[in-house]
Formats: sequence, C-alpha cells, structure tokens
Amino acid sequence: MTPGLLAQLFLNALSLGSVYVLMVLGLDIIIRGTKILNFAHGQFYMLGAYMLFLLFQIMHLDFALSLVLAGLILGLVGAICYMSIFHVVRQRFTVTTTFSYRLLLSAMASVGLMMILQQGTLLLFGTEERGVKTPFPQMIDILDVRISLMRVIVILAAIVICLLLYFLMYKTTLGKILRAISYDPEAVTLAGINTRWILVFCFALGSALAGFAGGIIAPLFSVTPDMGTDVIFLSLLVLLVGGIGSYKGTILGGLLVGLALSFGFQFLGGIAELFVFLLVIAILSFRPGGLLGEAAD
Amino acid sequence: MKPPTSWKPIHKKLAAAVILIIVFAALPIFIENDYIKHLLIMACVGTILGMSFSMLFSTGLISLGAGAFYAVGAYISASLAMNAGISFWLTFPLTIIISSILALGVGAIFVRNGGIAFVIITLLFASAVVIAAGQIEFLGGWGGIIGIPRPTALGPIQFDSKMSYYYLILIILLLVVLAYYALYTSHIGRAWKAIKLSPNLAGTLGINQYSYRLLAFTIASTTAAAAGSFYAHYFQTVTPGAFSGWLSIYIQLYAVLGGLEFYVMGPAVGSLLMTFIPEYLRIIKEFEPIVTGVLLLVVILFFQGGILGTIVNATKSNGKNNGQGIHSIRSWLKKGKNTGVRES
Repeated sequence: MTPGLLAQLFLNALSLGSVYVLMVLGLDIIIRGTKILNFAHGQFYMLGAYMLFLLFQIMHLDFALSLVLAGLILGLVGAICYMSIFHVVRQRFTVTTTFSYRLLLSAMASVGLMMILQQGTLLLFGTEERGVKTPFPQMIDILDVRISLMRVIVILAAIVICLLLYFLMYKTTLGKILRAISYDPEAVTLAGINTRWILVFCFALGSALAGFAGGIIAPLFSVTPDMGTDVIFLSLLVLLVGGIGSYKGTILGGLLVGLALSFGFQFLGGIAELFVFLLVIAILSFRPGGLLGEAAD
Repeated sequence: MKPPTSWKPIHKKLAAAVILIIVFAALPIFIENDYIKHLLIMACVGTILGMSFSMLFSTGLISLGAGAFYAVGAYISASLAMNAGISFWLTFPLTIIISSILALGVGAIFVRNGGIAFVIITLLFASAVVIAAGQIEFLGGWGGIIGIPRPTALGPIQFDSKMSYYYLILIILLLVVLAYYALYTSHIGRAWKAIKLSPNLAGTLGINQYSYRLLAFTIASTTAAAAGSFYAHYFQTVTPGAFSGWLSIYIQLYAVLGGLEFYVMGPAVGSLLMTFIPEYLRIIKEFEPIVTGVLLLVVILFFQGGILGTIVNATKSNGKNNGQGIHSIRSWLKKGKNTGVRES
C-alpha cells in the first residue's frame, strides 16, 4: 500500500461520494417538500445516464451541454410524474389521513412508477451495457499520484451544484418557501403562496439532481438498466446516515459512505456493503435520526 | 369509529370465518393440478407475511423488513435441521424463539427511528441479510443450503404431497390469525391503533409508544420468521436470491392491494391475487412488471381502500358511489371527505 495508491483510492471515494451526495440531495429535497419516499429516484438517475448517452454519444453534443440538458429533461420527467401520479394521490388525502398512510401510499405509488420506468427502459434499450467515452481522458500527475481528470471534474461539478443549491435555498425567496414548506405546508398556504406549483418544482428539482448525477457518472461506469436499483439502496443508506432533512448531514454522509465503500472494497472485498451497513447501524444506535438530523416520530 | 370487538357483528364474523375455513380446507380435494396447489401454499405464506406487515402498520410503522425475517427464519430453520439434524417439529418452535430474541434486539435500535427513517432502515436490513447470507460460508454462500429434510411423519400423516403441506400451512395460518385477532381485540391492539392515529396524543394518555411499537415489531418479525421456517422445509432449499430486497416491497403490496384496514382478509385477498395474476400474465412476460406497476398505480389512485375497502363501501352505500372508483376525485371535492380511509 503506497501513499500513491492510498491517495488514488481516496480520490475515487471522493468522486463516488460526491455522486451519492447529488443523488441524495435530490431525494432529500423531495422528501422534505412533498413527503414522498421516492423509490423511483434510482430510475431517474438511470434515465439521466441514458439521456447523456443519447445526447453526448449518439448526437455528439458538447459534454457540458448534454449534462445540463439531461438534468433539465429529467426535471421535466419528474414534474410530469408528480403531476400525473403523486399530486392525484395527494388529492385523496384529508386532514384525518394519518402520516403513515400518506407515506405508505405515496411510496407504493413510487414503486409502481419504478417498475414501469425500469421495465420500459429495459424494453427500449435492451439489457446490454452501453459505454460512454470519457470526454476528459487526460491523467494528471501530481507527485507520483495519477488521477483521472474525469473524476476531478465529477467532484468539481458536485461542489458547484452544492453551492448553487445553497444559493437557491438560503439566498432566494423560492428557497425560503421551500424551507418553510418542509416545516409546515399549511402555514405556507395560509401565507398566500400557491404550494401546488412549489411542490411540483420540489419534485422536479430533486429529479433533475438525480438525472444530473446519472449523467455525470455515465462516463465512469457503464450504462445499464440495472444501475438505478443498485444505487437507490446506497442512496437511502446515505440519507439515513446523514439524517433526513439535513443538507449538511447529507453531504457528510455521502462522503462517509463513499469512503467506507471504496476502502471497504479494497480491504474487505465482498462484505464491504455489510460492513457499511453495520457502521450505519452503529451510528444510528447512538444517534437516532442520523449524524446531523433529528429523531423524528 | 366502531371498535372491532363490538358485540353485534361477532357472530357474523364467526360464521364467515367458519365458512372460509371449510372452503379453503376442502379446496385441494377439487384441485388436481399440483402447480395450483403450490400457488395456494405460496398465497398462504404471502398472507402470513402480509399480516405481519399489517400488524406493524397498525402502529403507524411501515416496515419493508418482513422479507428480512422471512429469510432469517428460513436460514435458522435450515441450519438447525442440517447441522443439528432435528426435525421440523422442533426447528419450527426453536426458530420462533431464536428469531423473537433477534427481532427484539434489532427492533430496539430500529424502532427508535420513526417515520421515513424506519422504512429505509428496514429495507436496508432486508438487503443486508441477503448479502450476509450470500457471503457467509457457513450458510452456504450464494449457492444456499440444499437438501433440507421434509417434516417427519406425524403418526399416519406423511409429508410427501402438496396436499399435506397445504394443510400444514393452513393450520399455521389459522393459528397466526387467531393470535393476531386476540392481540388486535385486546388493549394492546387498541393502544397500537391509538399510536397510529396520533403518536403524541397516545403518549399523553400514558401509552408508551416505544415499547408498544417494539412489541409489534417483535411479534410481526417472529411471524415472518415462522413463515420462513415453513418455506425452508417446504422448498427444501434456501438461497439468498429468493429473499431479495424487492420481496419486502411485494409483501406490502399484498396488504395495500387487499385493503389496509382489513388486517386478515386484506393480505389474504392481496396475496391470492398477486400470486395468481402474474401466472396468467406469463404469456407477456416482458411486460409483466409494467402491468403490475400500472395495476398498483390504478389501485392507489382510484381504489385507495384497497379491493376489499372498495367492495365494502360499494355494498354499504347500496350502489351509490361514495369515494371509490373513477368519480372519486369529483366526489371528494364535493363532499370534502375521503371515504377511502375510514379511520375517524
């Protein structure tokens, strides 16, 4: 184990972790705003990767442009899904509907959506793996560490997105509404704000983040219809570690899980995921509600 | 709200239950096909699992971990039978005891995380159990455990046909139903319901939310493990692949499809449908997940009380539409109430 390999491993973990951060920030925004545990989030991620494959590989658009477009298209898909499914589910709820019932029905609706999107993609694109050629094949040599430029770009893009989100959430009126809605939607409605479109925006923003994450990971890994189901478990894990409803916690959790997984696979092999799960259980037994979250009831 | 123990309908319920038991006990006599008997057996297993989900849901917790304890039960039973060489009649109670201790320990950590975190943690637990079973050599790795013995003969009854297994699972199911009914109608069941309706209000009335939920988790998980024990001795093989994380999602589908407020009949109807419908969709295998997904969405969007809830509502209102079906959204807007959820 040379320091060079260690540094490389660390960087890989960081790039993996930053993709989780993007995914889970989207998941978290959706949960906080619309109170939907969206199992179809992994499928949005997968669709994002396919969008990049179509735009960048087939239509030869600029990489940055196709990435942004993939995010925007998935945002649109998310908005359509919300309005056609989750909004109707929500319409059926009343004041007397318990929280658990709301949670269960919207989660089950997302499972149905997940099945449709998953199998639809499988039928449309087939099971074979699609490779996206790396737009940045260069390697950077610092001391004796060789780093792929693509991974650095992934990390940088994640940082930029996080900063943009921070700006949106804490510096704009829309962000203020979004934060208020996660505490008390009724009060926001009473303040004269049309929550309906805010919730659509919430869901679209979360889906766009998933699509962006899928798009940016596509050149690093191959694009398959199964990539969504693989990533959703890890995203939920990250959400749990960081604490639901805490953006800082999500970032911390994403990096932690990325690190634990990368080093775990290097040193432990196949049981790395089990090790990460036990780590999460250990954290949760001391801090129910996650690292920076609060235990909810 | 009518408590489930009101005196008037109990004789009706009893009569219905007796008729159902007779029908289901007589069913295999008329069915020649072994494969349909197998499907019936799996529907019974699904009913038990769905009921365990319903029990946790009656406390307001959504568990996606029923599949986990199903797997745990199967593996405990299998390794006991293979390594200690004891028969089903001993491994079954032993599995129940061991898994209840396990569930208590695991639940003590899980139940503290309410709401969304509980959903996620149980789902992750289910997939962690599968990975653990695949990685640990003692449990047979990804190949699983093969050659688990059938239950030994009980007097003149030999366990070599589907028929005998069917009666075995039917008796287990009946015991589970009786135990659950006793629990739901006792003060424990009422406390669970109070917690579900409003955790904070229940707390002010002196109901310890944590311990009641932990109790529900332990009982539900133990039931799932008992079903797993049966599964191991029925299939005679246990592989990690049989218990993937999506199994747990299918289990809650049983309960949602049948109707969530029907703690016994809901999962039964749901699991019967979900076992038999995919069999007849086999012709269009590639589209099967899409059809299942669309069905699920239709039920959630338009028949929120589940299939049973829709039927009960339709008969109660003498054919008048009161919140179910295509016109439900319009009637919801008019009346300002949702009869799909009859909780209050």
